[in-house]
Amino acid sequence: MQQLSNQQPRETKHIEEESAIAPLEGTLQPGQILQNRYRILGILGIGGMGAVYQARDLHFPNVTKLCAVKEMINIATDQGLREQMVKNFEREAEILATLSHPAIPQIYDYFSFGDRAYLVMEYIQGKDLEGLMNGTDQFLPVEQIRKWAVEICDVLHYLHTHQPPIIFRDMKPSNIMIDHHRRVRLIDFGIAKAFQSGQKGTMIGTEGYSPPEQYKGDASPAGDMYALGATLHHLLTRSDPRLEPPFSFEDRPIKNYNPEVPDRMASIVMRALSYNFAERFPSAEAMKQALELLAPDVVIQTIASSETKVMGGSTPTPEASFAPEGVIPIWVFEAEDEIRSSPIVVDGVVYFGGYDNNLWAIDAKTGAQKWKFPTDGGIGSSPAYAHDTLYIGSEDRRLYAIDATKGETRWTFLTEGRIFTTPCVALNHVYFGSDDGNVYALKASTGRKVWAFPTARPVRSSPTVSGERVFFGSEAGDFYALAVSGDETAWHFRARRGITSSPLVQEKIVYFGSSDWTMYALDAETGFVVWRYRTRKQIVSSPRIFSGTVYFGSADGAVYALDALSGREIWQYETGGQVTSTPFVNERGLYVGSVDGNLYCLHPDTGDLLWNFQSGGSIISSPTVYDNIVYVGSTDYRLYALPA
Amino acid sequence: MSFFRRLFGLTDTRVEESGDRIETAAPQEVTTPPPRPAPAQTRPLGPLEEYISPSRRIRVGYASDIGQVRSNNQDTLLVLATSSEGNKPSQPMGLFIVADGMGGHHDGERASMVAAQTIAIHVTRELYLPSLQNHQPDAEQKTISEVLAEALDAANAAVNADVPEGGTTVTCAVVRGDLAYVAHVGDSRAYLIVEGQPSMELLTRDHSLVRRLQELGQLTPEEAEVHPQRNVLYRAIGQGDTLEVDATTRRLPPSARLMLCSDGLWGAVDDSHILQILREYADPQEACERLIQAANEGGGPDNITVIVVQMPR
Repeated sequence: MQQLSNQQPRETKHIEEESAIAPLEGTLQPGQILQNRYRILGILGIGGMGAVYQARDLHFPNVTKLCAVKEMINIATDQGLREQMVKNFEREAEILATLSHPAIPQIYDYFSFGDRAYLVMEYIQGKDLEGLMNGTDQFLPVEQIRKWAVEICDVLHYLHTHQPPIIFRDMKPSNIMIDHHRRVRLIDFGIAKAFQSGQKGTMIGTEGYSPPEQYKGDASPAGDMYALGATLHHLLTRSDPRLEPPFSFEDRPIKNYNPEVPDRMASIVMRALSYNFAERFPSAEAMKQALELLAPDVVIQTIASSETKVMGGSTPTPEASFAPEGVIPIWVFEAEDEIRSSPIVVDGVVYFGGYDNNLWAIDAKTGAQKWKFPTDGGIGSSPAYAHDTLYIGSEDRRLYAIDATKGETRWTFLTEGRIFTTPCVALNHVYFGSDDGNVYALKASTGRKVWAFPTARPVRSSPTVSGERVFFGSEAGDFYALAVSGDETAWHFRARRGITSSPLVQEKIVYFGSSDWTMYALDAETGFVVWRYRTRKQIVSSPRIFSGTVYFGSADGAVYALDALSGREIWQYETGGQVTSTPFVNERGLYVGSVDGNLYCLHPDTGDLLWNFQSGGSIISSPTVYDNIVYVGSTDYRLYALPA
Repeated sequence: MSFFRRLFGLTDTRVEESGDRIETAAPQEVTTPPPRPAPAQTRPLGPLEEYISPSRRIRVGYASDIGQVRSNNQDTLLVLATSSEGNKPSQPMGLFIVADGMGGHHDGERASMVAAQTIAIHVTRELYLPSLQNHQPDAEQKTISEVLAEALDAANAAVNADVPEGGTTVTCAVVRGDLAYVAHVGDSRAYLIVEGQPSMELLTRDHSLVRRLQELGQLTPEEAEVHPQRNVLYRAIGQGDTLEVDATTRRLPPSARLMLCSDGLWGAVDDSHILQILREYADPQEACERLIQAANEGGGPDNITVIVVQMPR
């Protein structure tokens, strides 16, 4: 029997090959009386085989007893098909007549004449769930949905344990009525069929709710469970599965749509939606019990029995289990002021700057101080290393070149502003920006100025050299691609706000973030935007690329992983504070600091939290990993060496 | 056997100047065996051709054929390419579209044509014109992915309005420099063929019911081939107000080929056979014609359309 669905078939190909359904003729008119007993009042719905009418039972002249009259007009010309259709209709009548459950409408009568057969049944006053959803733009209350789900499980359990078992086969919101007692009623048993194990059914069912195996013709109680899962997913998310790729529930977590849904409710629904029906609930009764445990009055005891379950927003992966809350530092080095500079490790020595004015050299294994080099201002930038020389800028407006072994000055260069950029050493030159608005190119060996390129505002984005070009941004929002000779601007790009984030060039694309909240990926040759991705706050953190994925943090508190070529989001992870630190990524983990004081280690593929370590201050410093040790500074004056 | 074909190309000119550029070869009649481009159809190459290695050019071949069974060709192909040379040459850019229409009467062919034209108009306005006007790059500039997404939305609206009973697949790509931006709805496909790789890489995912069932392990490829609903798409242009487009960006290595085709090709010719033909015929135009020939030899059950974009060495 055709279900009375107003959903159009979503087949889009070869429309001309579909057999056209003849327009229905001879619909009964209001006032017509069938069997001298049922006066037609109006049409409730029209399907391919006939209409469903609302009628009044004239055997009760003094009260208005309403009923639903379902009609089948046999339009088949083929004799075999004709008989099959009559048999199907009779089968529905017989199934319904043998059933007794509060959620199943009662059947009153069955008769036929000529080409038409009629089934008279209980008229259900109320609204179907699709109608209820369409009547509001709010989420239906989760607890209400849970109660309905319990009732549906109950009737499914009744059907599935009936002899012979009955598969409903068309579970969907429009087939579930909520009557005027606010009870669930199933309607349209048109395709419910007596279940004989192993029997191949025909393929009917509403795409979107029906289980994958139904397309092979398999009908089973597990299929009804899947369709119930799909129905609940729709109710909880308001995301219509008929408008989504088939069987894509797993890609559309309920929480993403409706954060009100408790995790355990979501996981019950997702279990019902397992592709493999062995992974679904073994019976409707089992699902019902799981749902009943979520009732508000039993919540307390169940939470008590599973208290270790929910910690934070993310599910730890198996690898995480070895690292509980206690990550123990290998060593801690205490400087004399905040550490915002990012450490670098060269040949077993960690170098970093401090707001105590010093450039520090610490033994990477033991944390023992090798030397410190005092400047006349705080050091917020990070050192660069080349040929046994460290290059570092200071708030005292100088760039220093320091002998890395002895910690002694080789040369210094004075600018007109404080220096917050990390120098870039390439092609025997040092490139760096200053708050005086210039980007400088100095001879690496002597510190002699080769050129200075003026911009309108301070330059705090560290230049990077790739190919024959120097890339950097300015606080004015300009981004430059200069010839390394400094005499030509290859191209220039304008963001909406300042650019503090330092560019990264990989595979002919330059990546950088901006205070306009956007991560940009530009064609390094032309400045053409390849993609851009907007976060919810400023991006000061610099991008890092590992294995085709670009990682960065935002002041909105999240760490982002995007596909490097398309900008498509792969995951994001929420920390408890702004993320201005630049991530370090290798195959074992992504390491990044947050203003909430933590160093986070996340799974690079999934963004799952592997472990975190709480420091005594904010972590603005960017971590680095060397020989399985993570080094990171904190505003608690300490440099931490943690097991990676 | 009818070789009536629908070809639609806004440009099929040969650019005589030297340099990195996109060359769209003149389409050929499909015959057996297909001849090299006849001199009458193609202007002889100018003398400047000698200054530049032809290998630096992006070359394009394309062909569309009605097949052996259908009474009309509901596929549309469109190629739109620009090149410029001079003091500050801009990167060559190409737009390539394959659309496979569906619907009774002439709705299918109209839907695919309307979609392809709408996309080309939008891309011209949003990408080609700003590029020709030498706009400085800035944060307001739309990305190619954004332009393609808008173009497909516009195509969806146009098909909904102009061909309410029809629908179409669209697989289209913008190639700029060595990046390919692919946008896709339906079951036409884009493949990447890289020299030295043993197989072709499918860049698109069919929005068909049987493909989804295969992805979930519910159908074997053999079952899918004979499945009664194998032609059912769950996503297409012109099937409602909302449209979800798959988009991907890929780098095209030197000598790589990007192939766009309708299901008339991939449904009739094995991947391995397609790859063999692509390897055998270095000229992209000849490769396209051989592919169509192979699909027709395989029964030609549907319209066949193919575009091959050949990257320089």
